[in-house]
Amino acid sequence: MSTAKFDEIIHPSTRLSIVALLASTDWADFSFVRDRLGLSDSALSKQFSILEDAGYVTIDRLVTNRRRRVRVGLTEAGRQAFEGHVAALQSVIAIAESVAP
Amino acid sequence: MDNEVTEADARLALGSIAQRRQQVIAEIDVPAWYWLGLAGGWVVLGVLADYGPAWATVVGTVAFGAAHAAVAPRVLSGRHGSPHVSVRSDVVSRGVPVFVIGFLIVMTMLTVAFALIAHADGARHSALLASVVVAALVLVGGPRVMDVVRARAERRLSAL
Repeated sequence: MSTAKFDEIIHPSTRLSIVALLASTDWADFSFVRDRLGLSDSALSKQFSILEDAGYVTIDRLVTNRRRRVRVGLTEAGRQAFEGHVAALQSVIAIAESVAP
Repeated sequence: MDNEVTEADARLALGSIAQRRQQVIAEIDVPAWYWLGLAGGWVVLGVLADYGPAWATVVGTVAFGAAHAAVAPRVLSGRHGSPHVSVRSDVVSRGVPVFVIGFLIVMTMLTVAFALIAHADGARHSALLASVVVAALVLVGGPRVMDVVRARAERRLSAL
């Protein structure tokens, strides 16, 4: 069980979507994330830079069959931050339900 | 920051997280070539059984089993249906290989049953006939099996 902790880096909706998508994967191609989220390459690169600087994602640039691929994945720190953030969101709902008439 | 997040915000965020998880669950699959390979192998074995010598059927069956055993550990996990993503093992049920192998066992039994029925009915190429029917069932039914696997994963993770 993760400790509930809001994470300001993850909370903005685009980064939350990116991290939530990666949380169910070992790794994903950059194009997979881009297509599922409907973002442009530049917009997604910008968000990945922020997450990478925070130590939440790893970005590997590979060459397979003469094609360049960018593969991304959550780090352990990123996974823990995500789980803590989810727990914090759940606690907000639990508190609201406990005080509801 | 906790105070800035309302219940509605939290529900919206959790809904978005669930939606992203569903997008990954949708990638749980086995590669399309797996079902094509199985169906092709099934028909080849049917041809060997009807037209080839007995030893060829034995060799073909052993080769088919060996080839399947070689690819099954990686393919049947369901985590690498797409070359663009690797689904985490805790998202995919560990029972996927059992589920698929169970399906194949049923298909094998159906092949034998169809062949016996066709033979009893006087069909000249009963093994080939049965293998073609079951190969078609594999092509149609295999992806449906994975639909069930994905639905089970969705239900299991929603309950957490």
